Amino acid sequence: MAAIAVHQFAQCITCHAWSPDQSMVAFCPNNNEVHIYRLSQDKWEKVHVLQKHDQIVSGIDWSARSNRIVTASHDRNSYVWNLEGSEWVPTLVILRLNRAALCVQWSPKENKFAVGSGAKTVCICYYEQENNWWVSKLIRKRHDSSVTGVAWHPNNILLATTSTDGKCRVFSTFIKGVDTKDSRTGPSSDSKFGEQILQLDLSLSWAFGVKWSPSGNTLAYVGHNSMIYFVDDVGPSPLAQNVAFRDLPLRDVLFVSERMIVGVGFDCSPMVFAADERGIWSFVRFLGERKMASSGSKYGSQFSEAFGKLYGQSKHGVSTDAVEPSRSRGGVHENCINCIVPLRQPGISTVMRFSTSGLDGKVVVWDLENQADLSDYL
Amino acid sequence: MANTLRLYLTCIRNTLEAAMCLQNFPCQEVERHNKPEVELKTSPELLLNPVLICRNEAEKCLIETSINSLRISLKVKQADELENILTKKFLRFLSMRAEAFQVLRRKPVQGYDISFLITNYHYEDMQKHKLIDFIVQFMEDIEKEISELKMSVNTRGRLVATEFLKQFI
Repeated sequence: MAAIAVHQFAQCITCHAWSPDQSMVAFCPNNNEVHIYRLSQDKWEKVHVLQKHDQIVSGIDWSARSNRIVTASHDRNSYVWNLEGSEWVPTLVILRLNRAALCVQWSPKENKFAVGSGAKTVCICYYEQENNWWVSKLIRKRHDSSVTGVAWHPNNILLATTSTDGKCRVFSTFIKGVDTKDSRTGPSSDSKFGEQILQLDLSLSWAFGVKWSPSGNTLAYVGHNSMIYFVDDVGPSPLAQNVAFRDLPLRDVLFVSERMIVGVGFDCSPMVFAADERGIWSFVRFLGERKMASSGSKYGSQFSEAFGKLYGQSKHGVSTDAVEPSRSRGGVHENCINCIVPLRQPGISTVMRFSTSGLDGKVVVWDLENQADLSDYL
Repeated sequence: MANTLRLYLTCIRNTLEAAMCLQNFPCQEVERHNKPEVELKTSPELLLNPVLICRNEAEKCLIETSINSLRISLKVKQADELENILTKKFLRFLSMRAEAFQVLRRKPVQGYDISFLITNYHYEDMQKHKLIDFIVQFMEDIEKEISELKMSVNTRGRLVATEFLKQFI
């Protein structure tokens, strides 16, 4: 069993994030608040409630080095929270949006963050010292629908986005005065702010959950048509792979290592995908137990049907004719998982632990150690 | 229950299982609003292809899906005029009490007898398999209910007729 801890924090959780030392967790219990819990003596207790938004909070990210929290909400605003003493002090970020903010992520250097929105735009926000506020620069007129996911390349310049028009795009977010020339490397070397480097047109349905691999060589995202897409060599001639799977669509993915990815979604159990030596990606298995009760009972009903025929229809007719009620799956989560967050150990690029949260209000911590069949890919 | 009905309901159940993948999604057109996209139909990219499941011409089920809502419309079999009027009255009675059912739509979609609207809020509050069970159970029961009603109307009609004709003996 790969799940090592299950915490029922609320009725329903939209998103969550961990503090840098992983002693605290911040999550949104499906309303306008952000709750912060701290582990003290094996018990989680609520230490802070961040109340500033007036609609549901759709994205939280906790920066690893500067210990700041950024939140985005459907009320079109975003706040950066700084811990001063024992209080979290909010700073409003003027996003200049006229629709809901949907997702947020700190850049690797934590001097910028990106917000995807329902206004079909992406905001890149950076701190302006002289005015003492966060300024937002918009990437406009590139997306044809809401931006559902943003992901930063490790070089702090490239930003990948997914949107409900089914496309995945890669932009340059070079901002003068914030980024230095020497950080421009690779395909983005001579691009300005907001320039589109790549548009991937692989999915026929909505795209979600874009992520870069730890090295930044591979890009992965999912489509609502139960497909996952892997893109290598992001640049003028990208190489794409589509992997279709038989279960319900995914919502978010996480690169565990260069060759292994964990996807979570409507199927309530994390799925593991891995690349073999030739770099061909395929579905490996589900993480966590899944009871195989449904197939067993099907055989049972076939038997009883046969018995019914043997003894005359009327005897067993009632029991066999009823449509089988569907069962809840035997996983740890009972409803759709919509958020997966790595629990990084300092200095190690491979993620051994990660946490998932979903509409059932649980935060589950998973551990990939002692998984013999998966250790090859780590 | 006839074997074909079971197949029909299993098909609907499996389709619902796949179609009911909903998420919170704010409106793209109106600021600070959150509406079921399947009702608004303002952004065609947020809608999926509707699925129509027919048992025969008189009995069908239309499943329309969008990113944050799902609409199921049913047409119930009406073999004769009596069944027609019973179905109409009975489903009207239910629709008028729609808030008690939560997922029931107040007015059916044009061409159908009764409609359900499931939004991401229902999906968050209730368990998915229970919701699907409810819809399928509802479809099973409605047929039973109508035939029982028909039977009782017929029995009563016969009784009344017998009583009435007694005076001529």
